[in-house]
Amino acid sequence: MQFLQPHSWREALEARAAHPGARPIFGGTDVMVDLNFGRKRPETVIDLTRVPEIREWNREDGLLRIGAGVTYTRAITELGNLLPGLAMASRTVGSPQIRNRGTIGGNLGSASPAGDALPPLYASHAVIEVASTRGTRRIPVGQFIIGPKRNVLEPDELIIAFIMPEAEGPQQYAKIGTRNAMVIAVCSFGLALHPESRSVGACIGSAGPTPIQPRDAENFIEDVIEEHDLWESRAEIPASALDRFGVLASEAAMPIDDVRGSADYRRHAVGVLARRTLTWAWNEHRGVAG
Amino acid sequence: MSTTTRTTGGAIGASLDRIDGPRKVTGTAPYAYEHRVDNPLYLFPLRSEIVRGQVTGIDASAAEALPGVVVVVTHENAPQLADTGDRELAILQSGEVAFRNQYVGAVLAETFEAARHAAGLVEVSYAEEPHEAELREDGDLYTPEQLNAGFPTDTEEGDVEEAFSSAAVTLDGRYTTPMEHNNPMEPHTTVAVWKAGDLTLYESTQGAHPVQRTVAKIFGIDRNRARVVAPYVGGGFGSKGLPHANTILAALAAQMVEGRPVKFAVTRQQMFTGVGYRTPTIQKIRLGADSEGRLTAVTHDVIEQTSKIKEFAEQTAAVTRSMYATDNRRTTHRLAALDVPVPSWMRAPGEAPGMFALESAMDEMAEKCGLDPIEFRIRNEPEIDAETGLPYSSRNLVACLREGAERFGWRDRTPAPRSHQEGRWLVGNGVASATYPVFRLPGSRATIRYEGDDKYAVEFGAADVGTGAWTALTQISADAIGVGVDNIELRIGDTAFPFASVAGGSSGITAWGSAIFEAARVFRERHGDNPSEGDEVQARTPNNPETENYAMHAFGAFFVEARVDVDTCEVRVPRMTGVFAAGKIINAKTARSQFMGGMTMGLSMALHEESLVDGRFGHVINQDFAEYHIPTNADIGEMDISWIDEDDPYVNPMGSKGIGEIGIVGSAAAVANAVYNATGIRVRDLPITPDKLIQ
Repeated sequence: MQFLQPHSWREALEARAAHPGARPIFGGTDVMVDLNFGRKRPETVIDLTRVPEIREWNREDGLLRIGAGVTYTRAITELGNLLPGLAMASRTVGSPQIRNRGTIGGNLGSASPAGDALPPLYASHAVIEVASTRGTRRIPVGQFIIGPKRNVLEPDELIIAFIMPEAEGPQQYAKIGTRNAMVIAVCSFGLALHPESRSVGACIGSAGPTPIQPRDAENFIEDVIEEHDLWESRAEIPASALDRFGVLASEAAMPIDDVRGSADYRRHAVGVLARRTLTWAWNEHRGVAG
Repeated sequence: MSTTTRTTGGAIGASLDRIDGPRKVTGTAPYAYEHRVDNPLYLFPLRSEIVRGQVTGIDASAAEALPGVVVVVTHENAPQLADTGDRELAILQSGEVAFRNQYVGAVLAETFEAARHAAGLVEVSYAEEPHEAELREDGDLYTPEQLNAGFPTDTEEGDVEEAFSSAAVTLDGRYTTPMEHNNPMEPHTTVAVWKAGDLTLYESTQGAHPVQRTVAKIFGIDRNRARVVAPYVGGGFGSKGLPHANTILAALAAQMVEGRPVKFAVTRQQMFTGVGYRTPTIQKIRLGADSEGRLTAVTHDVIEQTSKIKEFAEQTAAVTRSMYATDNRRTTHRLAALDVPVPSWMRAPGEAPGMFALESAMDEMAEKCGLDPIEFRIRNEPEIDAETGLPYSSRNLVACLREGAERFGWRDRTPAPRSHQEGRWLVGNGVASATYPVFRLPGSRATIRYEGDDKYAVEFGAADVGTGAWTALTQISADAIGVGVDNIELRIGDTAFPFASVAGGSSGITAWGSAIFEAARVFRERHGDNPSEGDEVQARTPNNPETENYAMHAFGAFFVEARVDVDTCEVRVPRMTGVFAAGKIINAKTARSQFMGGMTMGLSMALHEESLVDGRFGHVINQDFAEYHIPTNADIGEMDISWIDEDDPYVNPMGSKGIGEIGIVGSAAAVANAVYNATGIRVRDLPITPDKLIQ
């Protein structure tokens, strides 16, 4: 196995172009497991940890542009106030050691439907920036991930960053696992309120082939909020509407039975998490605790 | 001449810090893989890719061409074993495959990486035969001749059918426990070296001498030409109690490279095949009671699995034979022989799964009888041990239940299920009893030698598997000899010292401690209080005539608070209380850790552990710690652990009963009973996952 260690973004793209089947690695929290279990045996591995460009984040045109090599730990410590939903999700990833190594770019590269960082990206309509020696393109996250562990990255492309707006309202993330820490999600739910654009972003994790945006649920609750003028009045969302939001989210899920949980349970739990995260976020919007 | 003043004891019972602690935290305590050896080779195993059939061809040419590869060992070139009677251990003697991932060969190379790489290059072809790798209630079952530890397969007293037909209250329950894997933190590890016909094994084992005897027989060498060294062991939980094929593979491969040490550490994934596991169980329990809540009939019928190549019959219902009083009782065990690895000991084999079923059934029956579950148990407390007809040397279950109820605050419990909610949490409390027999394995011998300068050496081959034996045995030695702990030089974990029985069945302290006391007695008899340097005696664990007069068991009680999310059904256990009556506690600090570890493992059994087999491919699919869950720190809340002062003059000179296993016996049922009290949902199939609590 060939191990390449580029020291600049340019070198990284050239290495990737020269070795189209090569497997990029950063924290190794997915790649090394695959190697160790013999699931993947790439001819070439490209280590991106020495590429400074992808470890940075900054503001660009009013948006946050976050390098693919930003770890979960840094998402918590450096981006916690700007992207509270992503920080909440990052806190549920693995152990401190895993959070120190693993990156959000890695979650995008692995494209597992159980990737904890993905629902917050969907809920805030993140765009993924990928590049090759041929050029750069930006793809909405929902079009970037196209199947279980499948994304649209071309063999010569690398993920350089993702772009999303700073939180303009409350954000929430909830996850169910079969133990209290260090657990792959049975299912999860990310939610973001966007008071300026008067919209609600939501995403189901680990209950379908990809993270799923429950559009009917989003549209429904946006209509309820508009209809009752709740963005301004900050009054409670009627309980029946919270329930309906949960039901619509649950209906959008496409879960399977697997070792972590049954499809029926996941469908049920997605509804609970949807209602719960919306309630928490809306209470924060209203300025009330809990 | 010694000038030591003999003390009057006091070391036993003290909260002595682990004497091996500094060595462990500074990294100077060698585990099996870490013993310094010269010029070692590394072994990576080849494992069968079919469940059942024959190896028809092996192409090792690509592997052998790899730099650093020394030899690829297969059944075509492996040395013959002298004894192939144990088919679990008789590896590489033919091309037969008896279960998925069975060893079919090994690569020896100069580095671990080369060995592993080469193993992936070996092409093995097979002729596959049909297989059965999943336990089914309606499959072919047979009756074993006897159970593990020599328990009878079936028992029957009185007339159970008659008693059921006249019972005022009856219960008929079916309970299942899944396949579970022991998974000590240190994987099974061997360093094997042959020199001039002598075999040395640095081994991760619960018993150096039992390994020595097994390998001597299998390789056809005299016992004293095999030496096994195991001073420090990173846990076993039964899986290192009996030698498994990994040890034989290392020794067999080492025969082919005479003089060079061969190092073999089983990987975490490989630990899900071939180093033992707990059989899945299907248990049917029927209880009958009179209108006063006294049990009139008890039956416990068990179905479980074994391997076609070697029988292991877990004594799952044995515990039901003596736990509660009844005149009419039946217990049975039936086995399905499958194309699977051989099941083996896992912490409290028999008692752990059996008491989950019995103590769940007792909880259900208490409710049917309209009695508090503690009162129900007290009403059915036996006068004597029904299994042997003997009185108990001491039986303080009732004291444990009462003390635990007090400590836990049982009186605040709301008995009606699903009657207590705090916010989104349904809150419930549960109780269950624990018991474990006092096993006394024969044959251990201890040497005591006065080495001058007030130092007494105490030597025997026992293994400390992380339990604290180094410390507890030092304390016992100090009191037995009548000196302070600083005057004791303990030497264990090596067959160069006298024979010691396995650290299994919670029997170590009983067996080894009795030998120490006997040796100390003989030493003083022969050499008096002022011995000369070099004075030495060796003595054997004496028979205990009181075992003819008394049944000997430890007891305990668990109390659990469970909280279940009313919507998602996630379960949390914020607190657990355990009270034990286990005779004299040798070291309060390490004992507390033992009890806590057992209770944690019981909680793990209740909520987490499950090895899932894909019947088509015959292997465990969740074979790593990401998917085979044990609790994290965040899953364990307050652990309140205590014991009652129990003075049992009959068990052994220390008055101790063994504490390694009782913590896991019944604790899973206490969790299930608490979940029932919280939710009104009775989960009879472990583990209790959220999807089983959705109504």
